[in-house]
Amino acid sequence: MSMNVGGSKNGPRCDINMTPMIDILLVLLIIFMVITPLTPHGLEALAPEPPDKKNQTPPDQDRTVVIVIDKDKSMHINQEDTDMDKLGPRLEQIFKTRAERVVFVKGDPDLEFQSIARAIDVAKGAQIDKVGLMTPKLEAGN
Amino acid sequence: MEKKKAADPVADINVTPMVDVMLVLLIIFMVITPMLTHGVSVDLVKTKNPVTMQAADKEDAILISVTRNGGVFLSPGNVKLSGADQLPEKVRDLLTNRVDKTVYIKADARSKYSTVEDVVDNLRAAGVNEIGLITEEPHENKTPQQAAADAAAAKAAAAGK
Repeated sequence: MSMNVGGSKNGPRCDINMTPMIDILLVLLIIFMVITPLTPHGLEALAPEPPDKKNQTPPDQDRTVVIVIDKDKSMHINQEDTDMDKLGPRLEQIFKTRAERVVFVKGDPDLEFQSIARAIDVAKGAQIDKVGLMTPKLEAGN
Repeated sequence: MEKKKAADPVADINVTPMVDVMLVLLIIFMVITPMLTHGVSVDLVKTKNPVTMQAADKEDAILISVTRNGGVFLSPGNVKLSGADQLPEKVRDLLTNRVDKTVYIKADARSKYSTVEDVVDNLRAAGVNEIGLITEEPHENKTPQQAAADAAAAKAAAAGK
Protein backbone atom coordinates (compact mmCIF):
# COMPACT_ATOMS: atom_id res chain seq x y z
CA MET A 1 0.00 0.00 0.00
CA SER A 2 2.53 2.53 0.97
CA MET A 3 5.45 3.52 -1.08
CA ASN A 4 8.72 3.17 0.57
CA VAL A 5 10.73 6.32 0.18
CA GLY A 6 14.03 7.02 1.73
CA GLY A 7 14.16 3.81 3.64
CA SER A 8 11.79 4.89 6.38
CA LYS A 9 9.72 2.10 7.75
CA ASN A 10 6.22 3.46 7.26
CA GLY A 11 6.79 5.83 4.43
CA PRO A 12 5.26 9.34 4.23
CA ARG A 13 1.56 9.62 5.09
CA CYS A 14 -0.38 10.95 2.18
CA ASP A 15 -3.82 11.37 3.85
CA ILE A 16 -5.06 14.47 5.65
CA ASN A 17 -4.79 14.39 9.41
CA MET A 18 -8.44 14.25 10.37
CA THR A 19 -8.17 14.47 14.15
CA PRO A 20 -7.94 18.28 14.57
CA MET A 21 -10.69 18.75 12.04
CA ILE A 22 -12.97 16.38 13.94
CA ASP A 23 -12.11 18.19 17.17
CA ILE A 24 -13.17 21.52 15.74
CA LEU A 25 -16.31 20.04 14.21
CA LEU A 26 -17.33 18.49 17.50
CA VAL A 27 -16.80 21.75 19.37
CA LEU A 28 -18.87 23.69 16.80
CA LEU A 29 -21.56 21.05 16.96
CA ILE A 30 -21.72 21.26 20.74
CA ILE A 31 -21.81 25.08 20.64
CA PHE A 32 -24.80 25.06 18.32
CA MET A 33 -26.54 22.38 20.35
CA VAL A 34 -26.12 24.38 23.55
CA ILE A 35 -27.28 27.67 22.04
CA THR A 36 -30.54 26.13 20.86
CA PRO A 37 -32.49 25.59 24.09
CA LEU A 38 -32.03 29.07 25.61
CA THR A 39 -35.31 29.63 27.40
CA PRO A 40 -36.62 33.17 27.40
CA HIS A 41 -36.66 35.14 30.60
CA GLY A 42 -38.88 38.05 31.39
CA LEU A 43 -40.60 40.29 33.87
CA GLU A 44 -44.28 39.85 34.48
CA ALA A 45 -46.32 43.01 34.28
CA LEU A 46 -49.98 43.86 34.26
CA ALA A 47 -51.99 46.23 32.17
CA PRO A 48 -54.56 47.43 34.69
CA GLU A 49 -58.08 48.29 33.69
CA PRO A 50 -59.08 51.91 34.23
CA PRO A 51 -61.37 52.37 37.22
CA ASP A 52 -65.01 52.24 36.29
CA LYS A 53 -66.34 55.70 36.99
CA LYS A 54 -69.90 54.69 37.82
CA ASN A 55 -69.96 51.78 40.17
CA GLN A 56 -66.58 51.57 41.74
CA THR A 57 -65.11 53.45 44.62
CA PRO A 58 -61.79 55.01 43.71
CA PRO A 59 -58.83 53.06 45.06
CA ASP A 60 -57.42 54.20 48.33
CA GLN A 61 -54.95 56.88 47.36
CA ASP A 62 -52.80 56.43 50.44
CA ARG A 63 -52.11 52.82 49.73
CA THR A 64 -51.38 53.07 46.03
CA VAL A 65 -47.69 53.15 45.25
CA VAL A 66 -46.70 54.69 41.96
CA ILE A 67 -43.12 54.81 40.75
CA VAL A 68 -42.73 57.76 38.41
CA ILE A 69 -39.68 58.02 36.18
CA ASP A 70 -39.11 61.44 34.70
CA LYS A 71 -37.47 62.45 31.48
CA ASP A 72 -34.15 63.02 33.26
CA LYS A 73 -34.39 59.50 34.75
CA SER A 74 -35.07 60.88 38.23
CA MET A 75 -37.47 58.75 40.16
CA HIS A 76 -40.27 59.35 42.59
CA ILE A 77 -42.25 56.97 44.73
CA ASN A 78 -45.56 58.81 44.93
CA GLN A 79 -44.26 62.26 45.89
CA GLU A 80 -41.01 61.15 47.44
CA ASP A 81 -37.76 61.60 45.51
CA THR A 82 -35.61 58.51 45.09
CA ASP A 83 -33.14 56.98 42.67
CA MET A 84 -32.29 53.60 41.21
CA ASP A 85 -30.11 52.57 44.18
CA LYS A 86 -32.52 53.62 46.89
CA LEU A 87 -35.61 52.36 45.10
CA GLY A 88 -35.27 48.71 46.08
CA PRO A 89 -34.68 49.19 49.83
CA ARG A 90 -37.37 51.86 50.00
CA LEU A 91 -39.91 49.59 48.31
CA GLU A 92 -39.00 46.77 50.67
CA GLN A 93 -39.51 49.12 53.58
CA ILE A 94 -42.89 50.31 52.28
CA PHE A 95 -44.17 46.82 51.60
CA LYS A 96 -42.77 45.19 54.72
CA THR A 97 -46.12 45.34 56.48
CA ARG A 98 -48.36 44.91 53.48
CA ALA A 99 -49.90 41.77 52.15
CA GLU A 100 -50.78 43.07 48.72
CA ARG A 101 -47.55 43.96 46.98
CA VAL A 102 -48.62 46.04 44.02
CA VAL A 103 -46.85 48.99 42.45
CA PHE A 104 -47.63 51.00 39.40
CA VAL A 105 -44.89 52.22 37.11
CA LYS A 106 -45.28 55.35 35.07
CA GLY A 107 -42.48 56.37 32.76
CA ASP A 108 -41.94 59.40 30.61
CA PRO A 109 -42.71 58.51 26.97
CA ASP A 110 -39.40 60.01 25.84
CA LEU A 111 -37.36 57.60 27.90
CA GLU A 112 -35.77 54.47 26.55
CA PHE A 113 -37.50 51.25 27.43
CA GLN A 114 -34.52 50.01 29.41
CA SER A 115 -34.94 52.68 32.11
CA ILE A 116 -38.45 51.48 32.85
CA ALA A 117 -37.47 47.83 32.57
CA ARG A 118 -34.67 48.36 35.11
CA ALA A 119 -37.10 50.01 37.54
CA ILE A 120 -39.50 47.08 37.14
CA ASP A 121 -36.57 44.76 37.67
CA VAL A 122 -35.68 46.50 40.92
CA ALA A 123 -39.29 46.30 42.02
CA LYS A 124 -39.35 42.58 41.25
CA GLY A 125 -36.15 42.27 43.24
CA ALA A 126 -37.95 43.89 46.17
CA GLN A 127 -40.49 41.03 46.08
CA ILE A 128 -43.25 43.03 44.47
CA ASP A 129 -45.71 40.55 42.99
CA LYS A 130 -47.65 42.77 40.69
CA VAL A 131 -46.36 45.61 38.60
CA GLY A 132 -48.93 47.60 36.72
CA LEU A 133 -47.95 49.71 33.74
CA MET A 134 -49.54 53.15 33.79
CA THR A 135 -50.11 54.33 30.26
CA PRO A 136 -51.48 57.60 28.89
CA LYS A 137 -54.74 56.04 27.76
CA LEU A 138 -55.22 54.44 31.15
CA GLU A 139 -54.93 57.79 32.84
CA ALA A 140 -57.36 59.26 30.36
CA GLY A 141 -59.75 56.52 31.46
CA ASN A 142 -60.23 54.65 28.22
CA MET B 1 -13.38 -18.84 -1.60
CA GLU B 2 -11.19 -17.01 -3.89
CA LYS B 3 -8.75 -14.94 -1.99
CA LYS B 4 -6.62 -12.53 -3.87
CA LYS B 5 -3.58 -11.13 -2.36
CA ALA B 6 -5.19 -8.57 -0.10
CA ALA B 7 -3.78 -5.18 0.64
CA ASP B 8 -2.37 -4.57 4.09
CA PRO B 9 -5.14 -4.41 6.68
CA VAL B 10 -5.94 -0.81 7.63
CA ALA B 11 -5.81 -0.35 11.36
CA ASP B 12 -7.34 3.18 11.48
CA ILE B 13 -11.02 3.90 11.83
CA ASN B 14 -12.50 5.18 8.63
CA VAL B 15 -13.30 8.74 9.67
CA THR B 16 -14.78 9.98 6.41
CA PRO B 17 -18.38 8.82 7.08
CA MET B 18 -18.14 10.15 10.62
CA VAL B 19 -17.04 13.55 9.34
CA ASP B 20 -19.87 13.46 6.83
CA VAL B 21 -22.45 12.82 9.53
CA MET B 22 -21.02 15.48 11.80
CA LEU B 23 -20.95 18.08 9.04
CA VAL B 24 -24.58 17.37 8.27
CA LEU B 25 -25.51 17.67 11.96
CA LEU B 26 -23.55 20.90 12.21
CA ILE B 27 -25.33 22.37 9.22
CA ILE B 28 -28.72 21.26 10.57
CA PHE B 29 -28.06 23.00 13.90
CA MET B 30 -26.71 26.10 12.17
CA VAL B 31 -29.85 26.35 10.07
CA ILE B 32 -32.27 25.59 12.91
CA THR B 33 -30.76 27.98 15.48
CA PRO B 34 -31.86 31.27 13.88
CA MET B 35 -35.26 29.77 13.09
CA LEU B 36 -35.96 29.00 16.73
CA THR B 37 -35.88 32.61 17.91
CA HIS B 38 -39.34 34.08 17.77
CA GLY B 39 -39.92 37.59 16.58
CA VAL B 40 -37.22 39.83 15.25
CA SER B 41 -33.90 39.86 17.02
CA VAL B 42 -33.52 42.84 19.31
CA ASP B 43 -31.06 43.85 22.02
CA LEU B 44 -32.90 42.87 25.15
CA VAL B 45 -32.65 44.69 28.45
CA LYS B 46 -30.39 42.95 30.93
CA THR B 47 -32.21 42.50 34.21
CA LYS B 48 -31.29 40.80 37.44
CA ASN B 49 -34.59 39.31 38.57
CA PRO B 50 -36.40 37.87 35.59
CA VAL B 51 -38.49 34.73 35.82
CA THR B 52 -38.36 31.99 33.24
CA MET B 53 -41.06 32.33 30.67
CA GLN B 54 -41.33 28.91 29.15
CA ALA B 55 -44.62 29.77 27.46
CA ALA B 56 -43.02 32.53 25.41
CA ASP B 57 -41.02 29.89 23.60
CA LYS B 58 -44.09 28.09 22.30
CA GLU B 59 -44.81 28.12 18.63
CA ASP B 60 -48.16 29.87 19.06
CA ALA B 61 -47.15 32.33 21.78
CA ILE B 62 -48.28 35.86 21.05
CA LEU B 63 -45.16 37.94 20.99
CA ILE B 64 -44.90 41.56 20.02
CA SER B 65 -41.45 42.76 19.10
CA VAL B 66 -40.60 46.43 19.30
CA THR B 67 -37.44 47.44 17.50
CA ARG B 68 -35.17 50.36 18.24
CA ASN B 69 -36.57 52.48 15.44
CA GLY B 70 -40.15 51.97 16.57
CA GLY B 71 -41.17 49.09 14.33
CA VAL B 72 -43.82 46.76 15.76
CA PHE B 73 -43.87 43.11 14.78
CA LEU B 74 -46.48 40.54 15.72
CA SER B 75 -45.64 36.85 16.11
CA PRO B 76 -46.75 34.16 15.22
CA GLY B 77 -46.08 35.03 11.64
CA ASN B 78 -43.68 37.84 12.38
CA VAL B 79 -45.84 40.37 10.59
CA LYS B 80 -44.73 43.97 10.53
CA LEU B 81 -47.51 46.25 11.64
CA SER B 82 -47.78 49.77 10.36
CA GLY B 83 -48.78 50.90 13.82
CA ALA B 84 -49.72 49.61 17.23
CA ASP B 85 -53.36 50.51 16.55
CA GLN B 86 -53.65 47.39 14.39
CA LEU B 87 -52.95 45.25 17.42
CA PRO B 88 -56.35 44.99 19.18
CA GLU B 89 -58.11 43.39 16.24
CA LYS B 90 -55.35 40.92 15.43
CA VAL B 91 -54.58 40.02 19.02
CA ARG B 92 -58.25 39.50 19.81
CA ASP B 93 -58.41 37.01 16.96
CA LEU B 94 -55.38 35.19 18.24
CA LEU B 95 -56.65 35.15 21.80
CA THR B 96 -59.97 33.44 21.09
CA ASN B 97 -60.22 29.96 22.62
CA ARG B 98 -57.11 30.45 24.64
CA VAL B 99 -56.71 29.84 28.34
CA ASP B 100 -53.45 31.66 28.86
CA LYS B 101 -54.11 35.25 27.87
CA THR B 102 -50.54 36.42 28.43
CA VAL B 103 -48.96 38.41 25.64
CA TYR B 104 -45.22 38.85 25.50
CA ILE B 105 -43.49 42.07 24.57
CA LYS B 106 -39.95 41.80 23.33
CA ALA B 107 -38.77 45.37 23.23
CA ASP B 108 -35.35 46.64 22.34
CA ALA B 109 -33.51 48.14 25.29
CA ARG B 110 -33.23 51.46 23.50
CA SER B 111 -36.67 51.61 21.96
CA LYS B 112 -38.75 54.57 23.00
CA TYR B 113 -41.05 53.90 25.91
CA SER B 114 -43.87 55.71 24.12
CA THR B 115 -43.94 52.89 21.54
CA VAL B 116 -44.08 50.29 24.29
CA GLU B 117 -46.79 52.26 26.08
CA ASP B 118 -48.74 52.40 22.87
CA VAL B 119 -48.45 48.63 22.47
CA VAL B 120 -49.58 48.11 26.07
CA ASP B 121 -52.54 50.42 25.57
CA ASN B 122 -53.62 48.60 22.45
CA LEU B 123 -53.16 45.23 24.11
CA ARG B 124 -55.41 46.33 26.91
CA ALA B 125 -57.97 47.30 24.33
CA ALA B 126 -57.72 43.72 23.06
CA GLY B 127 -58.55 42.42 26.51
CA VAL B 128 -55.05 41.50 27.58
CA ASN B 129 -54.22 41.95 31.24
CA GLU B 130 -51.07 39.98 31.71
CA ILE B 131 -47.96 41.04 29.91
CA GLY B 132 -44.56 39.45 29.89
CA LEU B 133 -41.70 41.81 29.22
CA ILE B 134 -38.99 39.65 27.73
CA THR B 135 -35.58 40.53 29.12
CA GLU B 136 -32.21 38.90 29.34
CA GLU B 137 -30.52 37.50 32.37
CA PRO B 138 -26.86 38.45 32.60
CA HIS B 139 -24.95 35.26 33.32
CA GLU B 140 -22.11 36.81 35.26
CA ASN B 141 -24.48 38.22 37.87
CA LYS B 142 -25.55 34.83 39.05
CA THR B 143 -22.57 33.78 41.13
CA PRO B 144 -23.66 32.64 44.59
CA GLN B 145 -21.12 34.92 46.29
CA GLN B 146 -22.52 37.97 44.59
CA ALA B 147 -26.09 36.96 45.37
CA ALA B 148 -25.09 36.57 49.02
CA ALA B 149 -23.33 39.95 48.97
CA ASP B 150 -26.41 41.57 47.42
CA ALA B 151 -28.65 40.05 50.04
CA ALA B 152 -26.34 41.23 52.82
CA ALA B 153 -26.21 44.74 51.37
CA ALA B 154 -29.99 44.86 51.10
CA LYS B 155 -30.32 43.68 54.68
CA ALA B 156 -27.85 46.29 55.88
CA ALA B 157 -29.65 49.02 53.96
CA ALA B 158 -32.99 47.92 55.40
CA ALA B 159 -31.58 47.82 58.92
CA GLY B 160 -29.97 51.24 58.53
CA LYS B 161 -33.23 52.95 57.72
